[in-house]
Amino acid sequence: MLENSIFVILALFLLLGSAGMVIFKQTLFSAISFMLAMLALAGMFALLENSFLFLAQIMVTVGAVVVLSMLVIVSINIQERNLPVENTKFQWIALSTLLVTPLAILIYKSLTHLHVSFEQSEPGYGSLKMMGATLFSEWVLPFEIVSILLLAAMVGAIVIGRKERHHDT
Amino acid sequence: MTPENFFLLATLLFSIGLVGVVSRRNLFVVYMSIELMLSAINLVLATFSRLHNSMDGAVIVLLMIAVIAAEAALFLAMIVHLYRQRRSIDSDVYTALAQKKEHL
Repeated sequence: MLENSIFVILALFLLLGSAGMVIFKQTLFSAISFMLAMLALAGMFALLENSFLFLAQIMVTVGAVVVLSMLVIVSINIQERNLPVENTKFQWIALSTLLVTPLAILIYKSLTHLHVSFEQSEPGYGSLKMMGATLFSEWVLPFEIVSILLLAAMVGAIVIGRKERHHDT
Repeated sequence: MTPENFFLLATLLFSIGLVGVVSRRNLFVVYMSIELMLSAINLVLATFSRLHNSMDGAVIVLLMIAVIAAEAALFLAMIVHLYRQRRSIDSDVYTALAQKKEHL
């Protein structure tokens, strides 16, 4: 019963946050509602008994990714006149919602075609110990590839983000 | 709290992200919508991991979170670079790779 009410509250925050992210004109408001949605998603991971994912979601996505994007939004200091002029924003949103709805119905139908239900989880499910055992036994190679990807992304971000001295076109 | 609720929520999140990518022109909103779509996939993966009582799905979610971080670093660097060029975050301004020349 308690789980159900927590789920409803978190789902409300998740949907309101993501809808606000699409609707707000000011970029910083969008980022704040996105942060709200990501925090609610971390709560969803906790409801699914994945304690480590809850931690990783809060630390990496909320603590690093969203805060970094807010920092960039604040530091480039976008003036009102530099924001894109979107007079027909709500028409576009309504039109694309109309176009996306069949796809959403298709995804939902195919996902719920399984007729599954939650059972009592095995003891130790979602614990840090089991997570580490799975990560470092069966998923070692993807883990190493992800570390190389992060290094490559860091180098790429430095190369893209530095100031250009001359145009070599 | 049934799996159907989680699936419905993930579907709605993915749809909202897709709507954001299609209908908005603010580069930051486009970026955050892409992140939202990735997060919807994460929610489905975590739900299936819980359904099968196996940690494999949760490990994939963990790796996806790392990929999201890498994507954020690159995308934000790209936005800063583009903003320095034209002083705008309107995605319609950047047509350097487009075919038609008269737009520039």
